[in-house]
Amino acid sequence: MIPDEYLQSFVIECRELLEAMEEALLIVEQAAEDPEIINAIFRAAHTIKGSAGMFGLDPIVAFTHAAESVLDQVRSGDIAMTSALAALFIEAHDHLILLIGHVADGSEPSGETDTHGQALIKQLEAYLGGAAVAEPSADMPTIHQSTVEREESDAVGTDHWHISLRFGTEVFRNGMDPFSFVRCLSSLGTVVQLVTLIDAIPPAQEMDPESCYLGFEISFSSAADKVAIDAIFNFVRSDCLIRILPPRSKISEYQRLILDLPEEEMRLGEILVNCGTLTPEELDHILRLQAEHGDEPPRRIGEVLVEQQLVSPPVVEAALEKQKQVKENKKAEANLIRVDADKLDELINLVGELIIAGAGTNLIARRAHMADLTESTATLSRLVEEVRDSALALRMVQIGGTFNRFQRVVRDVSKELGKDVDLVISGGDTELDKTVVEKIGDPLTHLVRNSMDHGIESAELRLARGKPAKGTLKLNAYHDAGSIVIEVSDDGGGLNKEKILSKAIERGLISADVSLTDKEIYKLIFEAGFSTADTVSNLSGRGVGMDVVRRNIQALRGSIDLDSIEGQGSTIRIRLPLTLAIIEGFMVGVGNAAYVIPLDMVVECIELRAWASDEGDGQYLNLRGEVLPYRRLRDHFDSEGDMVQRENVVVVRYGEHKAGLVVDKLMGEFQTVIKPLGKLFKSEKSIGGFTILGSGEVALIVDVPGLMGQIEVEKGTVERAGTVAAR
Amino acid sequence: MNVIAQTTNQVVSSALEDAQQYLTFMLSGETYAISILRIKEIIQYGQLTEVPRMPDFIRGVINLRGAVVPVIDLSARFGKQATKVGRRNCIIIIEVVMGEETQNVGVMVDAVNAVLEISADEIEPSPTFGTNIRADFIAGMGKINGKFVIILNIQHVLSMDDMAELASVGTATAGELAQTG
Amino acid sequence: MADVNTKNQPNGRIVIDGELTIYTALELKDTLLAGLSATEELELDLSAVGEFDAAGLQLLVMIKQEALALGKRLRFTGHSPVVLDLLDLSGLAGFFGDPLLFVRKATDEGKAL
Repeated sequence: MIPDEYLQSFVIECRELLEAMEEALLIVEQAAEDPEIINAIFRAAHTIKGSAGMFGLDPIVAFTHAAESVLDQVRSGDIAMTSALAALFIEAHDHLILLIGHVADGSEPSGETDTHGQALIKQLEAYLGGAAVAEPSADMPTIHQSTVEREESDAVGTDHWHISLRFGTEVFRNGMDPFSFVRCLSSLGTVVQLVTLIDAIPPAQEMDPESCYLGFEISFSSAADKVAIDAIFNFVRSDCLIRILPPRSKISEYQRLILDLPEEEMRLGEILVNCGTLTPEELDHILRLQAEHGDEPPRRIGEVLVEQQLVSPPVVEAALEKQKQVKENKKAEANLIRVDADKLDELINLVGELIIAGAGTNLIARRAHMADLTESTATLSRLVEEVRDSALALRMVQIGGTFNRFQRVVRDVSKELGKDVDLVISGGDTELDKTVVEKIGDPLTHLVRNSMDHGIESAELRLARGKPAKGTLKLNAYHDAGSIVIEVSDDGGGLNKEKILSKAIERGLISADVSLTDKEIYKLIFEAGFSTADTVSNLSGRGVGMDVVRRNIQALRGSIDLDSIEGQGSTIRIRLPLTLAIIEGFMVGVGNAAYVIPLDMVVECIELRAWASDEGDGQYLNLRGEVLPYRRLRDHFDSEGDMVQRENVVVVRYGEHKAGLVVDKLMGEFQTVIKPLGKLFKSEKSIGGFTILGSGEVALIVDVPGLMGQIEVEKGTVERAGTVAAR
Repeated sequence: MNVIAQTTNQVVSSALEDAQQYLTFMLSGETYAISILRIKEIIQYGQLTEVPRMPDFIRGVINLRGAVVPVIDLSARFGKQATKVGRRNCIIIIEVVMGEETQNVGVMVDAVNAVLEISADEIEPSPTFGTNIRADFIAGMGKINGKFVIILNIQHVLSMDDMAELASVGTATAGELAQTG
Repeated sequence: MADVNTKNQPNGRIVIDGELTIYTALELKDTLLAGLSATEELELDLSAVGEFDAAGLQLLVMIKQEALALGKRLRFTGHSPVVLDLLDLSGLAGFFGDPLLFVRKATDEGKAL
């Protein structure tokens, strides 16, 4: 029986591979054949088949086998990769996703799915020109079968010689300098790239300064023959390891080279890539071959799995790890390990506890007036904070994965709408919290669809306006002052201010006599009640449910705004916090309770008595000439406890809304680990979460937008006054 | 080999029928019993944070070793007076099952009595009338020392869906719904 | 580490004069290690190095790694032409991480820069 965790990692792996495959297919569908990309698709299919075989998932093996056979012929140039074929592969890809989904939740595919799969296999086989696809053997996937043919076809791409040198320890004492050989080489050609290996130099104590520990990996361009190059090393041949590979050597020879050399495979591989001798793809290939051949003759699957998991030689791990990465960022991922997201969350949680416990200890130490203890707890707290920072960093993931998914969305929507749209992605390596990434997908999809639907004009209109027929949609991300900013921009028609204004007036969102800045006008489209289905067709702008998008973004403690130039396009900018787990909080006392207000919402704090509080019927304050609506939290939360003499006003701002929250006590800034509300309290909009104080007490975190919404409803007037105040 | 994936879906069957041990406790002078199966622990009442704008039966939240756990006032949940805080007040921490997840919920009671065994033949089905709490809150009537006590169906009493809905209507009292049984 | 700076020892400086080669490697090893152990921050002045070979390069790698292992700062300064030449050839300039100015010969690569 295969343990569940192996199956789970199989599923995860397959999904990653399929994602890469989809990406590659979309490129192929668009552009001419690129052998690299076809290779990537083939490898993904091949790997899925191999792993599925290990788990005995015959339907997946059979299906991928058909796809792989066709891909293999595409690789060898026997079949052309037409866009029709690419589209078929995209369908096949979707079918695989479905099959993997069934593996993941342990369900059986429906008859309909099976039929569809069979139909797809038929279509694929049609490309093979009647030559029936050999039935894959059920027990062992066809990993080995194509090796021979690879030996013939898979020469590496470089036309440089590759020379590996490992000098013996006696080289110096024999009166030779390794670099003199390099200089000698220059007489026969050009040293394109040289990597000096210093890995073998021992630590200072053990190092004999008269022994040689050096090695070189050299990429060498020359018209000389092997004998001539070899002759250079005649003098050191006896105590030196020399390997010379001619240009366009076979992959298998590099494989042998890697095995021959003393350094670890992965390190060597990187060096060879750095030398320009191998491309990352070629290295990938070599490592995989090694993994396959390094294995003993077929054994029972369970044994193989256990062995690989527990005692696998580093090369297998490295190769398996490598296999997963058909993506571009290969080098960076060589050192990655896969961690269960739940474990990570648990760690973050524990670190949160640690911070709370640390604060508690600190408090006790200070009360006890023990200077030594206070000092050491302070050190501890500092360290714990560092641990927290690194723990949070673990959760950061690149947004590129999310962005890349939009290739497909854009492709599909383009077809749907009959518009030709290019997606340009930048800033994919920008990192943000995993939980944020997971939640940003839906709003982004909405925005992208919206831009394509209502932003980008039809080809005719675009040409008439002097734009290229093909529209461009851009996704961009970058870090800015503790937030991540995500931009969705299009080169479409932009927003029509007049129409927005008249619609907003018609809907009663604003009165006809107010004058608004451009930004304020654009913001109107995010108002609830502005965009309904029937306004879409009337407006040249965008339509449905932008208020839903805004709400989703606000739920992530983010904000959204929009720039637009009429006739030239729009940019929607989403600003999100980097992490949801911890915020800087400002703690206030209300009655007997403590509340935490997110610090980034706090504008200032002022004593209430500084004003004549009856101005505006106890509803508004005059804040340096601005009208500021305010609310006693004591009233809003119906708190118990004695009234205090000197109340304070915390001025908070959210978007263009500004309001004063009257509290009893200001208790200062405080690092707040957010605990989720849980189902029971979800409905209470004014509370965003819980946190645990150093004393062990639970405090409530105020959800400022939610609270303002409540006040708005209860007062019915905040909205307008807030807008006035902000101006 | 296709069967592998299916085994993961097997659910451990509930052993509710076999439960014979019950915790008895006091609430407004009456004795109630609940199965000990889902009881995690019993703690002393203390340091509770009230959550504003919640119905009476949601007493607040406590910090249970770093987790924030809601505390339900059972008496108020039954539509009666809110429990008064006294020296013997306890919070029973109970694991509430919500689909595939579980959540810990605290139940505030006047006092905890004892853990008793009640054999299945000493449990009568719940009466359709005659009690003043909702019928679906009652699992049965158990005979202890010749007297009947109400055995609560605590999973129903603490149904998250039910309570969350009540919480969302704000301070509407649970009492309105209490007498429907 | 915070307490490193508070020791307040004078920064060390060693000038290597003449050969940094297999012929001087043995004694220079001891000199360099002694120099490093006496201070928190060591500067190796290479401006007077007249000859430099693979053994010398190896020595610089050794002392750099030792400094890294001890958490001390080590800087190479004033690289003489022979030093620059070999550093460039070996591709190890990045390993040492000291600011360098390569004046390349007019190779194809050089023109491109």
